[in-house]
Amino acid sequence: MGLLENRFDDNVVVEKLDKLLSWARSTSPWFFQFGTACCAIEMMAAAASRHDLMRIGIIPRSSPRQADVMIVAGTVTMKMALRVKKLYEQMADPKYVVAMGSCATSGGPYWQHGYHVLKGVDLVIPVDVYVPGCPPRPEALIEGLLKLQEQILEGRPLTRKTG
Amino acid sequence: MGVVHGQEMVLNIGPQHPATHGVLRLQVKTDGEVISEITPYLGYLHRCFEKHCENVSYEQVIPFTDRCDYLASMTMNFGYVVAMEQLMDIKVNDRVQYIRVIMAELQRIASHLLATGVFGLDLGAFTPFLHMLRDRERIIDLFEMTCGARLLYNYMWVGGLSHDLPKGFVEETLRFLDYFEPKVDEFENLLGHNKIFVERTADIGIMPAEVAINYGVTGPNLRASGIKWDLRKDDPYSVYDRLDFDVPIGLGIKGTVGDSWDRFYVRLQEMRQSINIVRQAIDKLPKDGDVHQSMPKKIRPPKGSIYSRTESPRGDLGYYIESDGSDTPYRLKMRSPAFTALGVLNEIAGGWLMSDVLAILGSLDIVLGEIDR
Amino acid sequence: MSEDKQKLINDAVEKALAGDADAVNNIEDRVTRAKAKAALVKAQREQPKKEDSNDDASKPDEKEPPVSNNTVQKVSASLAAKFPKSLDGEQNSDWIQLKPENWFEIAKWLKDNPDFYFDSLQCNTGFDLGEGLLESRYNFHSMKHLHCVEIRIRVSAEKPDIPSVESLWRVADWFERETYDMFGINFTGHSDLRRILLPEDWEGWPLRKDYEEQETYHGIVVPKVKEGWE
Repeated sequence: MGLLENRFDDNVVVEKLDKLLSWARSTSPWFFQFGTACCAIEMMAAAASRHDLMRIGIIPRSSPRQADVMIVAGTVTMKMALRVKKLYEQMADPKYVVAMGSCATSGGPYWQHGYHVLKGVDLVIPVDVYVPGCPPRPEALIEGLLKLQEQILEGRPLTRKTG
Repeated sequence: MGVVHGQEMVLNIGPQHPATHGVLRLQVKTDGEVISEITPYLGYLHRCFEKHCENVSYEQVIPFTDRCDYLASMTMNFGYVVAMEQLMDIKVNDRVQYIRVIMAELQRIASHLLATGVFGLDLGAFTPFLHMLRDRERIIDLFEMTCGARLLYNYMWVGGLSHDLPKGFVEETLRFLDYFEPKVDEFENLLGHNKIFVERTADIGIMPAEVAINYGVTGPNLRASGIKWDLRKDDPYSVYDRLDFDVPIGLGIKGTVGDSWDRFYVRLQEMRQSINIVRQAIDKLPKDGDVHQSMPKKIRPPKGSIYSRTESPRGDLGYYIESDGSDTPYRLKMRSPAFTALGVLNEIAGGWLMSDVLAILGSLDIVLGEIDR
Repeated sequence: MSEDKQKLINDAVEKALAGDADAVNNIEDRVTRAKAKAALVKAQREQPKKEDSNDDASKPDEKEPPVSNNTVQKVSASLAAKFPKSLDGEQNSDWIQLKPENWFEIAKWLKDNPDFYFDSLQCNTGFDLGEGLLESRYNFHSMKHLHCVEIRIRVSAEKPDIPSVESLWRVADWFERETYDMFGINFTGHSDLRRILLPEDWEGWPLRKDYEEQETYHGIVVPKVKEGWE
């Protein structure tokens, strides 16, 4: 950074473009509200009055095309699994998935006799953050989203991957 | 003047759509803007409730009933324990009964708050939704205080409750009711008499009483069609026969009896009645009594079957339980009120405009968890 | 297991049930002792069950409110007069057992008869009774007379045909579709009998007692797959 050091005023920060991009991505992950079951209510509660997700830049979207993060909130069944894949494919890159609740993580209480329940959404689409709980409290979801932000911050979108 | 028929178009709504209240797919046949047929496709949330019941013990069924209607878990528990207590011939003491009624009615308020709030949201009114969820959070706090869970409580057990009321619950509830009672009027003014809301719901999706009965529609939807039918009054269970309350019915104030606005208004009125019931139940709540008193050590009902109905916020909630004398149910069927309410959609939405479908669907207040089970 | 050991276990269990708790503990071979203990637990579990069912055999008569019994008897008596051959087997005071053949006519009569006027079909439950028998149970309610009745219709699993009552009570449309979906009971005369909850291409009838879930659905593994869950 020798060339750029001390060339500008005090309120200018010098940083890699890579980091700037991931910082910008991490602070406004608009989420696709994919609520299927009980967890959807907690997701709604997280977005509504008391917990207010918007204050950390996380805004609910109804269409996968406008979203960066897909929150799978609730049980995914076999009938739904095919649609989940379709919806995931409709999202624009870069895309992230949060599996909210034990159903989306592993099938939850339905893992044993649920002949029609998908035992974890990660059998169909890749998942970045798992939020445990049945259902998780809104605070837990917010924690999961903050974890996701950290994960996005670590990303290096411009760095060429080797190997 | 003849009828002009255009070309029919098939439109898919869902299974992922913000206005379908979950994962419901509607296949709508339209002639331009006018709807000719709606075919609902269910089962996107079929979680094999009845299969689970056959494989777990009677106590373990209760958490699964929670997860069926996740907006009214307390009343789902209530229906199941009432059925089980009839089957096993258990009498529970008054303290348990009154606590159950308090919980069920608070849950009814919470459920109706979400139902009316989301109904507004479907029609583009975002502010009432935030107001209603704010007040719902306060009820959730009361539940959390009692049993630690926010949404799925597993609170009512066969023959008793999981916990007694915590210290300060009664005061906190009364404080909430004092705060909430004027809020209902506020909601009525904010949403119910809003010009846009009235235009979009009054005279829309009229459900005549005969149609409602024939389709098995129950609860607030049936009462909005002008039939005074409430299981709490007509077939009283628990201690509802000792409480004094009204059953609000649809009067067609803004339009015709049985329209979408009436369904909304009946829910609003029921909140007022529930406040009234909770107050009475708190007055009559006995000071002493062990909530675990009549809980059986091992739940093993005698051979036989029972069909028992209770009034959930969505209507007649029936449990058909067949016992073969062992500690797991031989067969357990839940008769879901939202299932039958959704069945009537094609009948009452045909002929209306495309934009009215979501108004009608929102007014029916369906919960997919309970429809698909 | 050899016959000697089985005999040893049986003897020990019998003694233990009679009150001698050491009989099981004194068995020397560890495996045999464990098996004996398991057998003892099983036997103890079965014992109270028998007592329970004996006790409760007398109970239901006192428990049932007399009103509902009256309705069932009244309906059953008029049914016997009107449709003499339709009743199936022994009747009792809690429900009416019917043959499937002329169920539609009976249902129409139940709905239109001014004495009963069952205008509301509350619930339709499918049932797998085992031994190749399926049953459909209907709970009716009259909004006018405020009385209820339960009707049961039994069919064999090889030919599970029951006339549909969809055209009488519209609510039966979805109820019957659900029962068909879960049990494979074929409601003849139903206008649109397809699966309602499960996908169209699902195999088998899930709530039958002999159901085994399929291995994959569209390439997705159906049974539990992850290790170390139990």
